[in-house]
Amino acid sequence: MATTTVEEQLCQSVPGRHADLPETTCGTIRLDLHTGEHTQHWYLTIADQRVEVTRSVAEADLVIGAERAVLDQIAAGELHLSAAFLRNALTARGDLRLMMLLRRLFPGPAGARHPRDAAREGLRR
Amino acid sequence: MRAERTQVLAGNVFAIGDAQGDMEPDPRTPTGLFAYDTRFLSHWVLTVDGHRLNALSRVDVAYFETRFLLVPGTASHYVDADVSVLRHRSIDDSFHERITVFNHSSRPAEYTIRIEVDTDFADTAEIARPARRAARISARTGEGELRLRYERDRFVRETVVTTTVPAQIDEHGLTFRVTVEPAGTWAADLHVDMVIRGAGGRDLRAGITAHQQRVRQAMQQDLADWLDRAPTLVAENSALGGAYRRCLVDLAALRYTPLAYAGRVPVAGLPWSMGLYGRDAMVACLQSLPYAPELTPATLRMLALGQGGRLDDDHDEEPGKIVSVFRYGESAAFGEEPTALYFGAADTTPLFVILLDEYERWSGDEDLVRELRHPARMALDWIGEYGDLLGDGYLRYQRRNLRNGTVNQCWKDSPNAITYADGREPAFPRATCELQGYAYDALRRGARLARQCWGDPAYADGLQARAAALRERFNRDFWLADREYYALAVEPDGTPVDALASNMGHLLWSGIVPPERAARVAEHLLGPQLWSGWGVRTLGAGQQRYNPVGTHLGSVWLWDTALIAAGLRRYGLDEAAGRLATGLFDVALRLDGRMPEVIAGYDRSVTKYPVQLPSGGYPQAWAAGSLLMTLTTVLGLDPCGENLLVDSALPPGLGRIELLDVPGRWGHSDAYGRDRARHPARIR
Repeated sequence: MATTTVEEQLCQSVPGRHADLPETTCGTIRLDLHTGEHTQHWYLTIADQRVEVTRSVAEADLVIGAERAVLDQIAAGELHLSAAFLRNALTARGDLRLMMLLRRLFPGPAGARHPRDAAREGLRR
Repeated sequence: MRAERTQVLAGNVFAIGDAQGDMEPDPRTPTGLFAYDTRFLSHWVLTVDGHRLNALSRVDVAYFETRFLLVPGTASHYVDADVSVLRHRSIDDSFHERITVFNHSSRPAEYTIRIEVDTDFADTAEIARPARRAARISARTGEGELRLRYERDRFVRETVVTTTVPAQIDEHGLTFRVTVEPAGTWAADLHVDMVIRGAGGRDLRAGITAHQQRVRQAMQQDLADWLDRAPTLVAENSALGGAYRRCLVDLAALRYTPLAYAGRVPVAGLPWSMGLYGRDAMVACLQSLPYAPELTPATLRMLALGQGGRLDDDHDEEPGKIVSVFRYGESAAFGEEPTALYFGAADTTPLFVILLDEYERWSGDEDLVRELRHPARMALDWIGEYGDLLGDGYLRYQRRNLRNGTVNQCWKDSPNAITYADGREPAFPRATCELQGYAYDALRRGARLARQCWGDPAYADGLQARAAALRERFNRDFWLADREYYALAVEPDGTPVDALASNMGHLLWSGIVPPERAARVAEHLLGPQLWSGWGVRTLGAGQQRYNPVGTHLGSVWLWDTALIAAGLRRYGLDEAAGRLATGLFDVALRLDGRMPEVIAGYDRSVTKYPVQLPSGGYPQAWAAGSLLMTLTTVLGLDPCGENLLVDSALPPGLGRIELLDVPGRWGHSDAYGRDRARHPARIR
């Protein structure tokens, strides 16, 4: 089970400045979260290493659609965005380059270690 | 003796069959039709009246097109055949076969033409490690088509075989019952589409006419243009000219367009590595800058897109790290292998900066350097932060994915490649020597880019200082004073790993070796333990683990030797560089220009012939690039300001060489060289 939902991430960690985004990259991404019959639309605008998150059905450079549960897993770092795409658990239409950036907007798996910490653990053993 | 294999390929789509063009499963080697790391045909066998066919001749028209002339029966019976079959095969993003049957008799003849079709939708990752596969494949026949389908959740792969001529179609193939007039012919077009449902909304199916047009015109034209853009080699030894052309064609064949990017980048090689591998792709780019610079911007941009952005143990990902491999197969899709985007390599990140700088030196394309400023800085920062696992200033690796991460995250990535001379294996994290050379080179080149293109002299000064400190520390800690060579690696506690290996040759290429030590390093590289006569052994004879057919334990990798030759020339060791170049050229000439990835480390005087190893493939991007890099080395091509500097030192026996229209920031420039006497610099 995902420990965090995609909505929490979209409200908390996704908006704002991301120093690891290339400053030359800009574009718009729409996330369509499907729950049964219902679809929720989130709209991300990326420019100058900043991400703005709104709710909109407007057309975007990249439109991603998936079951909410799949996006929850991705947001929690439990499922790799590329793997989800390859197995057709999410659909993507438009500029796929932006998908590579979207991956970086979510914090990644919980419990991931800095290589130095992993090395220290290894040496102690 | 292995049965003869035939292949057609176009980027990451390829088909491997036998001498007749039939494809049947073979446990030793991948056979069949593949795309995006999936086998779409495992069985594709043609019969006439129930008889298998024999090849009278075969023409490999281009890397994407082959013609087989076939007759029924066995070798002893076919001489009087009154029927023959022309099988004309081509590939782009789909597979096409035109079957033409000739009746040579004076009577109308009836034939039953049958093509057997089957597949297992295996992932190429499984073929390398065969296991029982429980896949359930459904077969459905329809109007003029046979559809094989594999489904796992929403992951769907389909093979769709269609024909232009009416056929009886069952779940195992297509049958044509035909009557052919005396001296008449009958023909059918078979088309195989490989469908990846959903991936990017991209349906790989293409119309038959569109395919034929693409192959016959667009692909032919594309190849002609590719060759036309490359410099012309005029060599006194005409076989060298043929080998040069062959290597350019190999590189052309291995270009593909990733799903997430619009430009063409090199896949590593057939058959095991038909995906984007960061290391292989960047090495091939470095090798081909004077010949096909167009590969580099696409590769750098694609790798920048995939750059690591966060910590992820399963994918060995860290912010700023450059990817090791992208793959599309089922095991990547379901996370059974972390290969959808795997970062387990410590050398790709410095190589990214090195390639960006080297590209600018040749092309003068400062716009790209500015466009990629951020990824390049992330890469440079990664070297000092995440790459320095013990905080002691050395670039090291240790996998965090213990399930199926790569053990040795350097180019010698087989699990037992890094050892002491006595065979012991060092502890993790490991710092191999060539990684330190790459890091040093990347820091220095990063400093140049920061000064020249990013307007950031303070950052440049910082990088310069880090580079200088690394050089000093490295030459203190890695140099084995008693043996006068560099340790292969150091342990976490600093103990040097004393195996004699080819890695130290890379240090010359990186420029981290003080000039007074270069000659000693060269003596080892060309000494009886490392030098095979064809190239430099990965591990020296006499080391406990030495094995001339071991992947990284004694075999000779051509790209490794080519890089070392470049390093030797960098230090003015022209005679030594010439010997390596001669070895590589001789491999190319013995094998008709087909540069294999790896050959056995046996002494040249023992085998007289370069012995290819099954673990290496053909074509391989960085093997083909080795010939190009070696030409660059012997001609002494080097950008110098806005000019191309030519300082040739051709080894004896090479005769005269002209390389015309070398592209670069100078427009196009020519280079000339002649063997024996060294010629003065010629600047145009």
